[in-house]
Amino acid sequence: MEQKKNNQKDIWIGTDQLSNDPAYQEISNREFTELPVTDQLTEGKALDTSSNRRDFLKYLGFGLGAATIASSCDIPVKKAIPYVVKPDEIVPGVASYYASSFVRGGDYCPVLVKTREGRPIKVEGNSLSSLTRGGTSARAQASVLSLYDTSRITGPFRIVDGRIDKPRRGMGPGWNEIDEEITGQLNSNAQIRILGNTNMSPTTDKAIADFTAQFPNTQVVMYDPVSSSALLQANEQSFGQFAVPDYHFDKARVIVSFDADFLGTWISPVEYAADYIRNRKIKDISKAEMSRHYQVENHMSLTGSNADNRILVKPSEQGAAIVALYNAIAAERGGQRVSGPSLPDTAAGKIQRMARDLLDNVGNSLVVSGSNNVGEQVLVNAINAMLDNYGRTLDFTHASQQRRGNDQDLQALIREMNNGGVDAIFIMDGANPAYDIPNADEFRSGMEQVGLKVTFTGDPNETLALCDYVTPTHHYLESWGDVMPKKGHYSLIQPTITPLFRTRQSEESLLRWAGSDQLNKEAEQPYLEYLKAHWESAIFPQQNQFATFRSFWDSTLHDGIFEMTQPEVTEYAFGGDVAQAARQVRQPSGAELEISFPESVQMGGGQYANNPWLQEMPDPINRCVWGNYLAIPVGWDGGNNFTSFKSLNQREARGEADVVEVDIIGRVQPATCVRQFGQMHGTLSLALGYGRENTGQMGRALGERVGVSVYPWLSIDENGNTQYYATVSSVSEKVDTDSMFACVQYHHTMGVKGVDPETGDTINVDEKASMAIAEGYQGGITERSIIFKANLKEVQDLAHHIEEHREEAAHLNDATLYPYEEYKEKYYSQGHHWGMHVDLNACIGCGACQVACVAENNVPIVGKDEVARHHEMTWLRIDRYFYGDYENPNVVYQPMMCQHCDNAPCENVCPVNAVNHSSEGLNQMIYNRCIGTRYCANNCPYKVRRFNWLDYTTADMFPANEYTVNDEELPFGADNLTRMVLNPDVTVRSRGVMEKCTFCVQRLQEGKLTAKRESRRLRDEDVKTACQTACPTGAIVFGDFNNQDGPLNEMLIDNPLNYLVLEEINTQTAVNYSAKINNRDEELDA
Amino acid sequence: MSAVVSPIREPLITGGKSYHDITEDICSPTEKTPNLAWVIAFIISVAFLGLFVFTVLWTVWYGIGTWNLNRTIGWGWDITNFVWWIGIGHAGTLISAILLLFRQKWRTGVNRAAEAMTIFAVICAGQFPLIHMGRIWLAFFIFPYPNTRGPLWPNFNSPLLWDVFAISTYFTVSLLFWYTGLVPDLATLRDRSKGLRRKIYNFFSFGWTGAAKHWQRFESLSLVLAGLATPLVLSVHTIVSFDFATSVIPGWHTTIFPPYFVAGAIFSGFAMVQTLMIITRKVLNLQDYITLQHIESMNKVILLTGMIVGTAYLTELFVAWYSGYIYEQYAFYNRVFGPYYWAYIGMMSCNVLSPQIFWFKKMRRSVVVTFLMSIFVNIGMWFERFVIIGTTLARDYLPSSWSYYVPTWVEIGIFLGTLGLFFTLYLIFTRVAPVVAVAEVKSILKSSGDQYTGPNAHQQAAVQKEKAAE
Repeated sequence: MEQKKNNQKDIWIGTDQLSNDPAYQEISNREFTELPVTDQLTEGKALDTSSNRRDFLKYLGFGLGAATIASSCDIPVKKAIPYVVKPDEIVPGVASYYASSFVRGGDYCPVLVKTREGRPIKVEGNSLSSLTRGGTSARAQASVLSLYDTSRITGPFRIVDGRIDKPRRGMGPGWNEIDEEITGQLNSNAQIRILGNTNMSPTTDKAIADFTAQFPNTQVVMYDPVSSSALLQANEQSFGQFAVPDYHFDKARVIVSFDADFLGTWISPVEYAADYIRNRKIKDISKAEMSRHYQVENHMSLTGSNADNRILVKPSEQGAAIVALYNAIAAERGGQRVSGPSLPDTAAGKIQRMARDLLDNVGNSLVVSGSNNVGEQVLVNAINAMLDNYGRTLDFTHASQQRRGNDQDLQALIREMNNGGVDAIFIMDGANPAYDIPNADEFRSGMEQVGLKVTFTGDPNETLALCDYVTPTHHYLESWGDVMPKKGHYSLIQPTITPLFRTRQSEESLLRWAGSDQLNKEAEQPYLEYLKAHWESAIFPQQNQFATFRSFWDSTLHDGIFEMTQPEVTEYAFGGDVAQAARQVRQPSGAELEISFPESVQMGGGQYANNPWLQEMPDPINRCVWGNYLAIPVGWDGGNNFTSFKSLNQREARGEADVVEVDIIGRVQPATCVRQFGQMHGTLSLALGYGRENTGQMGRALGERVGVSVYPWLSIDENGNTQYYATVSSVSEKVDTDSMFACVQYHHTMGVKGVDPETGDTINVDEKASMAIAEGYQGGITERSIIFKANLKEVQDLAHHIEEHREEAAHLNDATLYPYEEYKEKYYSQGHHWGMHVDLNACIGCGACQVACVAENNVPIVGKDEVARHHEMTWLRIDRYFYGDYENPNVVYQPMMCQHCDNAPCENVCPVNAVNHSSEGLNQMIYNRCIGTRYCANNCPYKVRRFNWLDYTTADMFPANEYTVNDEELPFGADNLTRMVLNPDVTVRSRGVMEKCTFCVQRLQEGKLTAKRESRRLRDEDVKTACQTACPTGAIVFGDFNNQDGPLNEMLIDNPLNYLVLEEINTQTAVNYSAKINNRDEELDA
Repeated sequence: MSAVVSPIREPLITGGKSYHDITEDICSPTEKTPNLAWVIAFIISVAFLGLFVFTVLWTVWYGIGTWNLNRTIGWGWDITNFVWWIGIGHAGTLISAILLLFRQKWRTGVNRAAEAMTIFAVICAGQFPLIHMGRIWLAFFIFPYPNTRGPLWPNFNSPLLWDVFAISTYFTVSLLFWYTGLVPDLATLRDRSKGLRRKIYNFFSFGWTGAAKHWQRFESLSLVLAGLATPLVLSVHTIVSFDFATSVIPGWHTTIFPPYFVAGAIFSGFAMVQTLMIITRKVLNLQDYITLQHIESMNKVILLTGMIVGTAYLTELFVAWYSGYIYEQYAFYNRVFGPYYWAYIGMMSCNVLSPQIFWFKKMRRSVVVTFLMSIFVNIGMWFERFVIIGTTLARDYLPSSWSYYVPTWVEIGIFLGTLGLFFTLYLIFTRVAPVVAVAEVKSILKSSGDQYTGPNAHQQAAVQKEKAAE
């Protein structure tokens, strides 16, 4: 049939239309008909799909292929080898604790070492010790990491051209080979010198004595990088005791410290802090009492930051200050007046007033000095003697051994070496005189004259490069040993792991080379036998508690310490010559600018430089990491660009700081500046212990030296003692910008007052400085409910203020649809409700808790670059706020960790429920669930959440993007040795995951399991967080709110100084703080 | 231009166009070889798109640590850009939906391009919540999918989750709305094309024949979608503002945010429409369809929303002061005078001060001024988001954690990269679809009572005159 031509030429829908089918015509005219969709559906046509069996096979094939390719990517194989024969004492998953002692030079801390599956992972304080009472220091906490340092020396080696002569392949020389070579060079007439830092071990002394028996021309020289040599010499002069007295800061109502940083670094800070704080905690405000602490110094030390009053004197005026105090006391107490240098009037007036306070507390005061000037120390002894303090606040009954170094001996040795009078020198353990003495160059030249040079150092240092052999000793966690930090206090060191490398204890090496018959060379552990033998013969007879040596030994080994009473020294006849002493004191230099070189809490004299936990622990005062920073007084305009208030925060907040060149006695070094509140005008300060050249890979930041070495700037006085201050010839204008200014907290204060140079009004300086334009918003920082603080005299007012504030906060928080009390009752009335209390009055800011937290919780190290970008990962930080006068402020430290809010802002904002709340009040972070939106961190008012910006822990599957801290070859966290320090109970977090303080939930879990095993309820005393156990002053208390009689409620109930940070925003935090009280004598500065 | 032109109501389409002219004018750009301007623009856009791909891969490979965000400032350019793009994505749907409901006929000249812009802007915005995740490969966790982890669902309390729903809904509805409008025009293109092009357009025009039934359905669907989209315009940015408003951070925790964000979004959206339309009408010769009247109308909207936004800024300051709440007071003092003062100045001058120029009719009708202003407003609105996010986070409750933030090259690269993504999509769009809604524009060629003004209109008029004379 012929088709009719369609009149619609272009478009047709189908043949129906083309053929003009009548049926189609009809339908197309009925435009508004509905298609019988339902009919089609019922016939199943709509469900007909075009996929068939072939398609299915295609998809399956592709899917399998894609999955195979994806899964064939190289995934690193991680090996875990089970025990073939399980040792008795090791139960997988259960930690064993061994008592031991952390010792490094004169640093001492009795510890319990936590081991898991045979490897030490954490140290805790030993609470049996009456010295430290369970406290620890940051250095002790970090010591466990240096056991697993990849740059440790792995065996005995020859040193050729200043480098360890390591064979390309194989092990290097054996001990026998090296022993033979060394003994071959020794003869019985050789002039042998054993050089080391303070040695507190009686058995080491014995070993050296046995060595000397074979080589009679042996002499031992001890020195300390941060020396107390003058103190020892002065005590010898004054009382015939070459020892550090036993200080009792707890018994002193007035404490005066002349530049002695006894809470941070001086001699035995953990012990002193524990004592000191006993008189500083406020239990009952109705009879609030506190000691008063004066600090005479030029820079803000940790101790100075805790002092009530600081009297600022220049370093060279310390002597004048001591003379002034001496004369003021002598005038009242009938002492011989002396003439010495005089102080500027303002400081002299303050010293007079301070003397009054001391005189009102005769027998209950304590004057200490960190000076290394014999005259000054003699005068300080005289002052204490006049104040009848001997036998009360300090004594020689338990005289301390913790500093034994004598600078004079060291200088004599250097002269002797340069004269060619030394045949052999053995450098004990970590001693590093090529770096940490003022005349290191003379030491270096002297070393060239010495025939045989052997160092026992376990990790690379500057001195090693000068030696012929390195015969590395064990890390203390691999060693046997003993310590006598004080007379009558004994402490054992026991190994907690078999030596990781081919190291040998230095005492054993000495005894072997001496061929001493005292050492049983055939024994499995020769030095253990030697140690036991010495204890049996020398120490066991001194005590009468134990009948047999075996029980004595076992008990001491178990407890870690043994303390025995000593015959009390009651007679203190001061025998010093004060007139002579006054002539010896430092003379004021009269220079415009002086600089002091304090020891830093982290680095000590430099011996801890290779420990990244310490390098990344912020300095308590300037809050900087990875380096030492030249502290410049705020407002000082020494011809430089250091303007006062305006540029205080602005540029540093961008991670930039000025670099200047400092010229001291002709040596010029660049240093990065930090503006420091509390730094005296006309003075600078720069910490010791940085600028190490020859360290392991972690002792360097991005391949460069960390900070500046100040040792070449030190001087030696006429008594041969090292002096830790200098006159600054000049400080240049800014020469460079340090764009990696790694500081975790800038100047921010709680209201430092100063006179505005523009208007002449007294204002809160930081509130102005924090603004880029305009005048600043007065009160914008100070009126925040973060820190509550007051003078002791105003403690009642403060309590009232806190009460008012808390009532107002409660009123605000009541305006909710979800009343907190009901919630608390509903969820927490059964079971536990965990909480914490932090006593700001007890916190001294030492940072032990922070390092303990890092160790316990596998918190990664991120390096200088990353800290400069504010990527630090610390779960617990210590916020430092200044308040008071801007030139001479007080400081309050606030440990800040996750507050475990019951109404947590972080919890409700997480889109994937990775943050939630436990039925015990813990704010829980589920790493697996976290996708990394960081909303929780933004919404955290306390800014305690930490994000894994990069692959810090090398936990990623692919190694290509692993993050290196210091451009190391194998990323810091990736090598199997370093990973041994990880706590297996705590997940290592991967990149892109949020993390934060968990209240050590793994410890809670462990406590619960223990309680369950013992079929009892968990007592909150059972569980202590890492920060709590590390704290030397007991500032942190963790516990259960529901335990009415527990330690937590003891701190909370009826404590009117207790408050919550930012309570008014209704976060219902679980961490309580109690207010900071100072006992500042306001009139002193008036 | 011989038609009778009312002195009050200007014609919406000028140039005396016939229906055929309209088809020709609008469809021809898709049919010709692209001109040099387009090619250059496209190469540049694709280069930036490449930068986007590179910087995103860099971020995903090395981690968010390649950005300069830090422990204090968890969001920076990423979320600033996200909110900025989302804001831009408001104008299209507003023009299509709300103006449709209000029967604003002038919208037809710009709605197609505006809607396309909306979709592309939302695509750009949608990148950021993904990219900014620390573990993007787990992004599917945010969807409430049935899983084997027990009853583990997303956190329905989290504004970020609301964002997911709000934005995906908005995107879907906007896309549907846009596509619905495209169908008749794609059919027009189909009818004009041959070969493969014809097949493709045939597929995408869904068998549109222009039957009355199709038109009836088209109208119904448009209306339904307009009804759906209208609340969405308000809800999307309201919910985005909840990201901030429901937090506890001073400077974020404000009830004013929802209306303020919506006004700001319309403000920035219209500005972006202006930027694009002024270029498009020039390059594609569409001055007769996108007339000065359009530009003026949109400028009026910009003036109004700019002042709403300005009022919000001042209200925030007032409320901060009036609240007596120290943190709030400090936060706003810090915004104005703190280290990011320049961002605040940028925001205030671009968003509040500069639009005041539109009080003058001459300025409203000046293409050059409008173009410059549209750029200003885009910059100002970017600053507004940065002020809200960056400045606020940099200094919140604890002074110990205060920080400062400048972006890295990666963050800047991602932002520039999304501009590349946006313009690449837009340039492709101008090549494949009519940038003005042909069918809809035809509907407004004649207003009621209009005379025919097409070809031979003179003749006819002359005939009529003659008749009248007789």
